[in-house]
Amino acid sequence: MRRYEVMVILDADLEERTVGPSLDQYLTLVRQSGGAVEKVDVWGRRRLAYDINKKSEGIYAVVDLSCDPATVLELDRQLTLNESVLRTKIMRPDAR
Amino acid sequence: MAKAPIRKPKKKVCVFCKEKISFVDYKDTTLLRKFISDRGKIRARRVTGNCTQHQRDVAVAIKNAREVALLPYTSTAR
Repeated sequence: MRRYEVMVILDADLEERTVGPSLDQYLTLVRQSGGAVEKVDVWGRRRLAYDINKKSEGIYAVVDLSCDPATVLELDRQLTLNESVLRTKIMRPDAR
Repeated sequence: MAKAPIRKPKKKVCVFCKEKISFVDYKDTTLLRKFISDRGKIRARRVTGNCTQHQRDVAVAIKNAREVALLPYTSTAR
């Protein structure tokens, strides 16, 4: 088990209220495989520093979780398959 | 002909060592913006006055922040 910090940038065309529940849908994967979701922080709409997929705005969300390396890899794979996810980034805060 | 007097360079102290910040967070854009130029380039150590380790930490944090579009790779100011 390792701690991870997953940052997700979602399409700004989405409703901000629906971001939490739809993100939670993916996080059930983590819970099922014995991991724990510690914190889900939805930052809300933010301007991107540069365009991603021709979009200049995005909804930021940061998820703190602890799970096995394989689980977070699968989570990332499923997130990137979603069209409304502009970008994901997985960080290990305790690797520093 | 009097030469210009040699200025003694003022020794800068690394902000992170002074504040005792152990790690630089890539999400803290207000802090990181102090270490990039208005063109979006990372400021050199001789400008920022950071120590070797913290300059490296800042550079890595800025590069991570660029990946998630929190900071620009380039900005065409002027």
